[in-house]
Amino acid sequence: MMLDGSKTSPVKRTAWVALALAIVGVSLWVAFTAEPKIVTDLTNATALTLAFAGLVVLTHYLGLLSLGQGALVGVGAYAALHAVNDLGAPVLWMPLAGLLAGTLIGAIVAIPSLRLPKAYLALLTLSMAVAYPIILRQVDGNLPVTLDGAFVAPSWTGIPENDEHIWEFFLVAAYASITIFLVQGLLRGPVGRAFIASRDEPEAARAFGIPVYRLRLYGVALSGGMAGLAGGLMMVPTNFNDYTHFPEELSIKMFALAMAFGGSRLISAIPGALILIFLPVWLLDRNWVVEYGWIGLVKSEGFIYAALLLLTAYLTKGKGFMSLFERRSPKAQVTPANKRVTSVVGAMTDLETQLAHVEGLAARQPDIRSRQDSND
Amino acid sequence: MSLFLQRTFDSLANGSAYAALAVAISMVFRSTGVLNLAQGQLAMFSTYIALVFATGPSPYMKFSSNTDLVGAAWPVWGAILGAIVISMLIGAFTERVIIRPISADPVAAVGATLGLYLLLGAFVRKQWGGRTMFLGSPFPQTVDDRWDIGGARLWHDSVGITLTMIAVLGLLAVLQRRTKVGLAFRAVTSNRTGSTLVGIRVSRILMLGWALAAGIGALAGGLIAGEINVRPDMMGRLLVFGLAAATLGGLRSPVLAFVGGYLFAFLETMLGGYVSFVDSQVTLVWALLVLIIVLFVRPSGLMPRTEAWQKR
Repeated sequence: MMLDGSKTSPVKRTAWVALALAIVGVSLWVAFTAEPKIVTDLTNATALTLAFAGLVVLTHYLGLLSLGQGALVGVGAYAALHAVNDLGAPVLWMPLAGLLAGTLIGAIVAIPSLRLPKAYLALLTLSMAVAYPIILRQVDGNLPVTLDGAFVAPSWTGIPENDEHIWEFFLVAAYASITIFLVQGLLRGPVGRAFIASRDEPEAARAFGIPVYRLRLYGVALSGGMAGLAGGLMMVPTNFNDYTHFPEELSIKMFALAMAFGGSRLISAIPGALILIFLPVWLLDRNWVVEYGWIGLVKSEGFIYAALLLLTAYLTKGKGFMSLFERRSPKAQVTPANKRVTSVVGAMTDLETQLAHVEGLAARQPDIRSRQDSND
Repeated sequence: MSLFLQRTFDSLANGSAYAALAVAISMVFRSTGVLNLAQGQLAMFSTYIALVFATGPSPYMKFSSNTDLVGAAWPVWGAILGAIVISMLIGAFTERVIIRPISADPVAAVGATLGLYLLLGAFVRKQWGGRTMFLGSPFPQTVDDRWDIGGARLWHDSVGITLTMIAVLGLLAVLQRRTKVGLAFRAVTSNRTGSTLVGIRVSRILMLGWALAAGIGALAGGLIAGEINVRPDMMGRLLVFGLAAATLGGLRSPVLAFVGGYLFAFLETMLGGYVSFVDSQVTLVWALLVLIIVLFVRPSGLMPRTEAWQKR
């Protein structure tokens, strides 16, 4: 059922289009003019946007906590790289191996934990985040592994051979854009509304026939798939994998950024991804990472993220800073667009009013009822 | 048979650490409903505090200027006790300042414990660096310090750690069952509003719960440091097993969490030793699998189902 209130106003629509064009414009400008290192970092940030978007799906749409998104990114990266090296998959399609692996692991973790209180999903995903680098180190003695393949830009693109970082950026951006577009479409439709219903009123949602457990399972698998795809895409510019790439702190930092900046739209994943990639670069440029003691602590990544988490918890009660900018005024009354429903509801309301009126009359004239009773 | 016995003995020290962390996690969750994800980091931080006490002023410690307050190096037992006291204060402070103002919102509370997780990790790395350090065991640890039972070696160290942990958790049980504070604690975990109405100072009891949990974690860290040495990531593996063990107790039963800790250590050693396709180095995978299977088959853990569901 489409509601009038859910339609985007022309002004808003124009603003979104302008924003999208601005993002595309800035990306193109950076891709062709910035240093290769910055373009590679931007490519990684673009890939990680998907993982953050997966977290937005989990936290905003399903009200669940995942502390293992970094591990799922790692799983995707591992699967994508081995799909090429061991199974001979084409490099252009290798991120899809990450998508499959992330979806599968996400579902495996979700199946038992979603039957329990929400804390269990957080617990199990944190366990996964902590265990992932340890397991990888123990299971795969061959790490670090380099990708057996290269990303050469086709001639029609006009990108020179030694500028493969530009082609890699466009490749990752294409994957990310298509995925975000598809997932946003999914979330704006009945599935997204069912997600929100299962988050806000699970019992009512069940009563309306929404399979809450199965829906949450799909949501966690979708989120895991997006993280896995992000991992597969990160292998495009990075080209090698090691067990140190995806420590448990990555998952916690991702959770911190998603909690702080996550809003109701997938586009809110962009600031988180940019900060995650560019903050360490910024700290490194200032030589802050080599400082020790109290000053070094304040200038460290861990402290910054801890402060971000604590501030988000205190100032926004865990709702994120985007919630501070949301409108506080009550939403306008929406009327159903379906005229048949409107007329039926109206008729039922009239009928109820008339019944109340008749009952009132009957109460004032008890002799009518007593006569009727005697006849019965 | 002697090999089986040896493996059982080998699982004792690790089991004690898993059990202690599991009990600490269960205690906090049971009393406040907050999953303290920083429990492992708190234990790791306490171990570094013990290291400061045990080492005394040292040029290798970035914190050395502050150890002048400590004076000369303390014996390991004294160092661990000192760390326990400081950890309990940190635990109480954490509850009072960080958790209590936001405890009504579970997402914010989990976020705050994760903030603490990152903060402690960053603090340790910046103050003491990432290198491996050695605290030593409070128990005799030479090659001769052992009993030979049925062809297996039972190390004094392992027995000491296990008995200490059992004694401390036994004391905790006595505190809960036989004292007024314990009664108040049980009342708060059972019905917080009712406890307030009958005059129990709930906030103080919750603070005590956090302090005790931090103290138990510090004891676990200090004791296990003799086995695995001190590193910023020393508690990662222990935390996974501790969380798994706490899950076996439905996150609410310290007794079952304690049993779960030893059970996981036993399974870890036996799976690695006897199952041919399980490498002894990859037992963590199997621990996670066991956890997933347990959650799948029996969501309430080892707790009786009715009790677990009633308390949810």
